Amino acid sequence: MKCLINVPLKRLLTILAAVLFLLLSPRAQAQTMTVGGIVCDKDHAVIPGVSVFDKDNPDNLTTSGLDGTYTITVLPGARLEFSYMGFRTQLVEVAGRAGIDVIMEEDSFLLEEMVVIGYGTIRKSDLTGSVARVGSDVLSDKPVTSFGQALQGRAAGVYIVDNGNPQENVSIKIRGLGTINDSNPLYVIDGAPMSMGLNSINMLDIESIDILKDASATAIYGSRGANGVVLITTKKGKQGDGKISVKANVGVSQATDMPQMLNAAQYAELSNEMLSAGGVTPNPAWADPASLGEGTNWIDAMFNPALSQIYSLSYSGGGDKNNYYVSGSYSDIDGIVKSVGYKRLTLQVNGTHRVKPWIEFGHNISFSYDKKTSGTYSLNDVFRSLPTQPIFEEDGKYAGPEGNSYWVGNIRNQYGTAETDKNLTQGYNLLGTLYAEASIFKGLKFKSLGSVEAKFAYNTNFIPAYKWKPIEVAESSLYKGTGRYFSYLWDNYFTYDRTFGKHSINAMAGASLQWGSEDYFNGTKDEFLKDEVNQLKNATNILSFTGSGSEWALASFMFRANYSYADKYYATVTVREDASSRFGANNRWGTFPSFSLAWRLSNESWFNRHGFVSDLKLRAGYGITGNQNIGNYTFASTFNTGLYVFNGKTVSTLVAHKMPNPNVHWEEVKQFNIGVDLGFLENRLRLSVDAYDKDTDDMLVAMAVPVSSGYSDIDVPSINAGKVNNKGIEVTLSADIFSRKDFNWTSDFNITFNKNKIVSLNSDTPMYYGSVEMLGNTRVNMEGYPIGSFFGNVMGGIFQNQAEVDNWAVQVTGGTAPGDIKFLDLNSDGVIDDYDRTIIGNPNPDFFFSWNNRLTYKNFDLELFLQGVCGNEVYNANRIYLEGMSVAFNQYTTVLNRWTGEGTSNDMPRTVYGDPNKNLRSSNRFVEDGSYLRIKNLSLGYTLPKGFRVYLSCQNLFTLTKYSGFDPEVGIDGYDLGNYPVTRTISLGLDITF
Amino acid sequence: MKKIILLTTVVVFAAMLQNCEDFLEKAPLDTISTDSELNETDAVALINAAYQPLQWAKLYNMRIWTTDIVAGNSYVGADGASDGVETTDLANFTASSSNAAALDIWRGPNPGILRCNIVLSKIPEISMDEALKQRLLGEAYFLRAHYYFILVRIFGDVPLTTQPLVAGDNLARPRNPKSEVYDLIIDDCKKAIEMLPVKASYGASDLGRACREAAMAQLAKVYLTLGTNYQEVVSLCENIEGLGYDLSKMDYAANFNAKIDNGPESLFEVQYSGSTVYDFWGNDNQACWLSTFMGPRNSGWVGGSYGWQHVTQEFVDAYEDGDLRKDVTILYKGCPQFDDKEYDPSWSLTGYNVRKYLVPKSISKEMNTNPANIVVYRFADVLLMKAEALNELGETARAQVPLNIVRARAGLPAITTTNKEEMKEIIVHERRMELAFEGHRWFDLIRIDNGDYAVKFFKSIGKMNVTKERLLYPIPQDEIDDNPAITQNPGY
Repeated sequence: MKCLINVPLKRLLTILAAVLFLLLSPRAQAQTMTVGGIVCDKDHAVIPGVSVFDKDNPDNLTTSGLDGTYTITVLPGARLEFSYMGFRTQLVEVAGRAGIDVIMEEDSFLLEEMVVIGYGTIRKSDLTGSVARVGSDVLSDKPVTSFGQALQGRAAGVYIVDNGNPQENVSIKIRGLGTINDSNPLYVIDGAPMSMGLNSINMLDIESIDILKDASATAIYGSRGANGVVLITTKKGKQGDGKISVKANVGVSQATDMPQMLNAAQYAELSNEMLSAGGVTPNPAWADPASLGEGTNWIDAMFNPALSQIYSLSYSGGGDKNNYYVSGSYSDIDGIVKSVGYKRLTLQVNGTHRVKPWIEFGHNISFSYDKKTSGTYSLNDVFRSLPTQPIFEEDGKYAGPEGNSYWVGNIRNQYGTAETDKNLTQGYNLLGTLYAEASIFKGLKFKSLGSVEAKFAYNTNFIPAYKWKPIEVAESSLYKGTGRYFSYLWDNYFTYDRTFGKHSINAMAGASLQWGSEDYFNGTKDEFLKDEVNQLKNATNILSFTGSGSEWALASFMFRANYSYADKYYATVTVREDASSRFGANNRWGTFPSFSLAWRLSNESWFNRHGFVSDLKLRAGYGITGNQNIGNYTFASTFNTGLYVFNGKTVSTLVAHKMPNPNVHWEEVKQFNIGVDLGFLENRLRLSVDAYDKDTDDMLVAMAVPVSSGYSDIDVPSINAGKVNNKGIEVTLSADIFSRKDFNWTSDFNITFNKNKIVSLNSDTPMYYGSVEMLGNTRVNMEGYPIGSFFGNVMGGIFQNQAEVDNWAVQVTGGTAPGDIKFLDLNSDGVIDDYDRTIIGNPNPDFFFSWNNRLTYKNFDLELFLQGVCGNEVYNANRIYLEGMSVAFNQYTTVLNRWTGEGTSNDMPRTVYGDPNKNLRSSNRFVEDGSYLRIKNLSLGYTLPKGFRVYLSCQNLFTLTKYSGFDPEVGIDGYDLGNYPVTRTISLGLDITF
Repeated sequence: MKKIILLTTVVVFAAMLQNCEDFLEKAPLDTISTDSELNETDAVALINAAYQPLQWAKLYNMRIWTTDIVAGNSYVGADGASDGVETTDLANFTASSSNAAALDIWRGPNPGILRCNIVLSKIPEISMDEALKQRLLGEAYFLRAHYYFILVRIFGDVPLTTQPLVAGDNLARPRNPKSEVYDLIIDDCKKAIEMLPVKASYGASDLGRACREAAMAQLAKVYLTLGTNYQEVVSLCENIEGLGYDLSKMDYAANFNAKIDNGPESLFEVQYSGSTVYDFWGNDNQACWLSTFMGPRNSGWVGGSYGWQHVTQEFVDAYEDGDLRKDVTILYKGCPQFDDKEYDPSWSLTGYNVRKYLVPKSISKEMNTNPANIVVYRFADVLLMKAEALNELGETARAQVPLNIVRARAGLPAITTTNKEEMKEIIVHERRMELAFEGHRWFDLIRIDNGDYAVKFFKSIGKMNVTKERLLYPIPQDEIDDNPAITQNPGY
């Protein structure tokens, strides 16, 4: 294969000659034979030092040389075993072949594997906490740009919801929603906390992702560890000859499903019926609806298959003292919605240099530039646009609604603004880490690590004047905005790693300082001489100009000790002390300890490791972590500045706006975790089960500030008084189902059950939110229920006749008629009102799971990755508008089954202008089952000799769901209102490595 | 070498850690600590802040003028969907405690009261020009009375707070009886009359601040609302007349002209500049919403044109023939052109829209650029208050004089009746037409005959859900949720 190229020509010729000789020789004479070849990894890098031995004659063994080649003399029917630390052992039947090249597969489950745990690494076998590791294999060959997308389903306990818009990032939550506030995990890349979007990292540069889940693992990050920690390690050059790798992936995306809207004839008929029912004159032009025909399909016009292209080039290598990894990539992803585009350039420069025998320096520098372009559009308005309105006038200008808004609506031409408006966001992200690690004496090292993160974002929105209905824009305007974020970090710590007989100690102690600041300014001008020349200086009138900034700082001490005895008994203790500028002087310092223990029963002398169970380890841990994402200055008591005007002259104001709480501090999470790791049948089957109980105490909840105090009742101080509980079980099962010469099948399955509950909000009053216009709130945080539960009335069918209306509780006096929705009178007071609302859904899944299968046959490989969630609900708020049938919006075709007379429908109400019965109030009518099962990825690859590989990779290929909207994956909050849909991508990829 | 490098690193780092308390001391960069010492500039900025809530949609930009919809002069209109449903619910007397309009009009005055209380508690301690200090305190008294006057009329009993609340105070405050609230309002108005200069004495850059005659008009309106001190109403109105106000020299339409700020007839206005520097939907917005909201939908006549206020046929029918105010106030089929454009009655469900506040694109080209002020108190109102008070005192013949000044300007014949009851109805009608859509109608309806007038009127226009209890808005659910000491109004 590819590594052939790396082999000196002489060697190659020798092997070829040997092969030829053997092939041509009369077979009778063959008693023993010489077998030779090259051992490399799946990236085609040669592996020196691989042991090769004759399984039937264990004394006959050799190792591969520096160039990865080996030769061994065996019987033609012999079986050769190849083994090397960190790789899966392979058994190969010689079957008379003289040339056997072997590709070693990295084994992420081998016990010797190292995992990254923050301020150090540890052997996976020594872990006492819960850490999930995802290797680079799952990040390759995927037609996506963000590792977050590739990570979905790959680790138990890690809930990821994709976002179809290539410009946006996915949401990642670890072990449930720990707080009603910011529940995002901490991201750390090569030792430096990262605030930039996940999209800004080229995932092909990532070697591994380690996800710290339980408190014994995350407590080392103290006041930032409460929501889990994601540790990203970028690639390093490997010792040996240099390697050049070129990867290309080109794909086409489209929506996984398309909603069906009414055509012009159907809409006109509905409109006539709706207006007549509401006592409004219907549009005389639509007296014969059928004559209008199909009309405009706005969704077809706005959604198109989109091209995605991802290219990358890397070179890497290394010697005894130095290694390097350098890569660049270019991605160009078009959105399936008209005008949406995303382009990204990345650069990664990594290296380590042993400058003196006692000191090593290293650097990891990531730079990325991204460019997000789009016109102005709203998917809500695309759906609502009437099919009776053309996109263009006959003269080629954009059409717009003209006339009565209750006939023709008043939605701007979304196709027009998507084409004419130019919205551009450019992001520049730099993250640089530099470290030095010095050996002081045996086992003791000192590491000093400094890093900077700089983010700049530039927004440019150019909105040209336009003259089409319904709302003309008289002047072209330009908005320019820029935001800057900068932080620096300096960590200094000692590590001590020694083994004394059966005692092993791995300890770390140190301190860290971090400082961050951000600021922004932006302005808008209009009145351009001409649109073609449209920089800020070309406009004469300033519409707005503003800006501000803020700062934060964190100082920390951290300590960790791992102790193990005879690889049987393990103990870990960590403590972190954090002081944050975000807490007032009264509460500046916090202590975050953790303890954990593990026992590997399978290493006890009485344990038979060659029985059914080959490995058995029990783990238990407890720890306290914090969440300091509470805003930079919540403790401060301040006056804001504002403005008023007297007689046309603007004056400053000094405003007491927010009630202060000087005592605010971090949220605290106490987590208990027990786990068991099991290996069966010589570890061919591996099972890990973790159970956790996670209590968030001191959760920041809004202080009850009555409006009558004069302070804002919305922008209120937070008080540390809420409690949330998450309980869950995570199961990971991996199996090497088949392991044959030409055929391998490995399978990984994981499933996570999590139950989320708000225990206390420090008030009997639930926190309602998610108001849809003036129709009332759709969401609630209520004691005893999961975070973000859906809230509303309960539908009990449709009134079929006036008698039913008269016998039912009063809904809207004078507003209710046959064909309207019956809402249940839950408190039986004879009136349907806000007091009849209840919990109508839960956006958090009962469980989520994935099942990955990887098959290789000769040079073919196949990945089938299934992923799903179950038991969650989606609030399909689109239907409030698109099945509302009460105003001039286009509707889903489901309204064709509307109530038109007694017995016609018991779920789709009548159409009536103005919705007098408030059929649109928040109710379970709009809540749907959000469960789904999908083929998240299917890829088929073929590896050619000489380092070529081609593959077909399909993302979100097929989805099974009952959800009626675009796609059930609508965001962590389970709320779908004009959400950009998740897409299906079919891509073709090519990798060349030499 | 190795040791030197190591030692240096550790020493430098340790030194930084040593100073970490300084390092961790971060104060907000864009706000001012409440502990900092205040000077004269700060004092002026504090009183300026007390005016700001007037600008909000929670008060004059929306919830005050939409009381005309609640009062039955018009329908919401708008997009016909959920837009304005909270106002429709109030107008149909079907609102619940979670009504968004009730919450808004609760959220408007309360911050204003806090800001006034901060002025009244902080400014006396600031060393500054004494005359200026007196004026600033006068402004605060005027505004506090103004905010409480809105609250007490909309909600009835409300918590009375005369000191700013601070961290640690009990924020759960019960409602005080209406009478106590009115006592404070009257007291504050009297202090304001004493401390404030007359409008004419303000320089150009301060014009628009509360003035003495505004405080007098406000007190007159308070007495009229209470129906207790008609004599005082008459003398307050006469005092204002005595400052040189003459309606015959004042143009009705000028009150709504976006180019005229603090015009001759106006006593107090909410001020806007039309600046787009701040978010149109936010509390710092400096643009007037009225034209944007009332422009006929899909007409494209004015920036926004959201199509609010479809004027009822009943209101239009109430015009007397020849009323010159009609063409200024409403749009109807065949009305004079607006901005050289013909009105299309199909833009409105009723065939009528409000014209009074529309600002042509030549003055305000976008939805967020309208610089028009909103008049709160104007002289015609003062004359009608005087007429009403005189009539109530039994001096019906004297009442004709101020009434007929207003009618003369509207091109209408003089009223000659001396029948008190007849006169009362005529004055109510005159107020309705003169002050149409300016946010007075609701407050007039609910004060006359202690609410009986309103109930009778609403039933006469087919609003059969009305009850006397429903003439007060509900205490917002948000307040009830956050304030265990508060109680709901009966009927909700």
